Amino acid sequence: MTGVGYSDLLAALAPETALVLAAVAVLFVDMGLMRSAPLRQRFLTACAVAGLGCLVTLGILASSGAHLRFLDGVLVVDSLTQWVKVFLVVLTLFTAGISAQAEFTEHVGEYFALVLLATVGMMFLVSTEEILMIFVSLELTSLSLYVLAALDKRTRHASEAALKYFLFGSVAAAFTLFGLSLVYGLSGATNLTGIAAGLRAHRSDPLLAVAVVMVIMGFGFKVAVVPFHLWAPDAYEGAPVPAAALIASGSKVASFFVLAKIAVLGFAGVEGSGAWGQLRAGWLPVLAVLAVGSMVLGNLTAIAQGHLRRLLAYSAIAHAGYVLLGLMAMGYPSQRSAALAAVLYYVATYGLTTVGAFGVASVIERVLGNGRIDALAGLSRRSPLLALCLMVFLLSLAGIPPLAGFFGKFGLFTAAMGADPAGLGLLWLVGIAIAMSTVSLYYYLRVLKQAYVVAGDEEASRIVVPWTDRLVLIAAAVGVFLLGALPELLLGPLARAIAGGNGF
Amino acid sequence: MDSQLSQYLPVLMLAAVAVAATAGMMILSMMLGKLGRRSKAKDTAYECGMIPVGNPTPRLSMRFYLVAMLFILFDIEVIFLYPWAVVYRRFLEHPAMANPILFSMVSFLGVLLVGYLYALKKRAFEWRN
Repeated sequence: MTGVGYSDLLAALAPETALVLAAVAVLFVDMGLMRSAPLRQRFLTACAVAGLGCLVTLGILASSGAHLRFLDGVLVVDSLTQWVKVFLVVLTLFTAGISAQAEFTEHVGEYFALVLLATVGMMFLVSTEEILMIFVSLELTSLSLYVLAALDKRTRHASEAALKYFLFGSVAAAFTLFGLSLVYGLSGATNLTGIAAGLRAHRSDPLLAVAVVMVIMGFGFKVAVVPFHLWAPDAYEGAPVPAAALIASGSKVASFFVLAKIAVLGFAGVEGSGAWGQLRAGWLPVLAVLAVGSMVLGNLTAIAQGHLRRLLAYSAIAHAGYVLLGLMAMGYPSQRSAALAAVLYYVATYGLTTVGAFGVASVIERVLGNGRIDALAGLSRRSPLLALCLMVFLLSLAGIPPLAGFFGKFGLFTAAMGADPAGLGLLWLVGIAIAMSTVSLYYYLRVLKQAYVVAGDEEASRIVVPWTDRLVLIAAAVGVFLLGALPELLLGPLARAIAGGNGF
Repeated sequence: MDSQLSQYLPVLMLAAVAVAATAGMMILSMMLGKLGRRSKAKDTAYECGMIPVGNPTPRLSMRFYLVAMLFILFDIEVIFLYPWAVVYRRFLEHPAMANPILFSMVSFLGVLLVGYLYALKKRAFEWRN
């Protein structure tokens, strides 16, 4: 603990501390003061407390210039991790916003406390370079998310989704832990740079291959890539909408960031090659296989879906495949910073878009009673705002300029194209990605056609969007549009933060 | 690389034996179980010759689960407190470590205290309803 006092540590961890205090506050406000209040009021109050906590945390993140590297990477706080934490807290804030009108559970305080604790887990996940801390914070996130997914006890469907998510997740955690223990056994270090140094002597060890595959399997579950995606459609469809939104957005931002850290920093030197015709063992070809599987299967299966949230789940699988391209580009040192900026821009805007899309789904499901795509008929007449927001989010997911999804994909694909110094090695992956995003346009437009073109029931009344949902949806839609029209707003600070960091 | 792999030969053998034994038992019992006469008495669970009574999966009160969880919570607290108490005085000899060693445990206990208050408020400690 040389040179770092307890007060320095507390200053660096002020955002996390604020969120934990907010979680405790929301728990006790709900249980102490609001116990006999009607459910609606309890949700609104708890949402206000949680939202306030998020805003305070954002304020701390924006004002503190804390830089800390504690115990060889157990805790790493620099401007890059601060930026990722800002994304996470904003996504949590929006998640809290779309839960303000919910009524799926009586455990209101617990619900919001778990949302905040899951976010704390994600924040620790992004600011550590030590495998033990990574595992502990991963578990904090996962355990909170399992409970969140199971909070809706009204339908069997939701319980089934929660059980699937839990069982898949715990098995994946076991794989991660086993993989990490093998990595430790081979390298004798628990911090990522030490692991990279220790692995140098074991590059051709078959155990290393097992370890790499197992670690990637565990994280492959978290980010829902084929073939570890089977939980995603059920969990996205059955879990309470805001919980599903958090699983689909914040959890992914954090998981991709830490997966990139493990692969690039920890497995440095065992990249192998994912170039066409020259596949060599390492983590790049593993990611290549996962990426191809996710892009093809995710996009093709999404076409057949009749439920909006299930469609979003398969589209999320496809998007995870695109992000893996960016991760692969990070395996080539020449493109590392550009690819990292592209990946972070992509996951941040993707998270924003997804939370927005889930927000639309939550309003629609509350009013219509189900989330089927057929039920969207006539939406543009019943609620122009909802239809417009849905259009912005889905077109951004499809990658239509000037929305953020286009620049995200553009950045990822150019990073992947320029990655291989020996030529266009990753071109085959980019080709598949572009072909598959064309496919994705079809199913996104099918939803929009239902909302805009197909005439609905003439008698149907207008849909009233509550002000909390309206606030979140408009903010998310404006954000998606602004970040797409002016990508420098986010890419500039990200590039500066990456340049000022430790090469990651 | 070969020597590395050959270290794991016993593991492979154990795995093969485990799979063979399990599969053999299942297949044999499936094949042999179909032979011979069956009766209701033969199909009941074997309870040392006693006639089985009652439901094999009785419903237990959720309170047992709560008690178990609370036990784990406070058990873990003690597990962390013991080694902390052992090294506490040695840390105090270094002035720079005096504050961290105290406050890290205080914050840990603070979090546990919140959990305790929560359990209290939720009436987890009341056995009767």
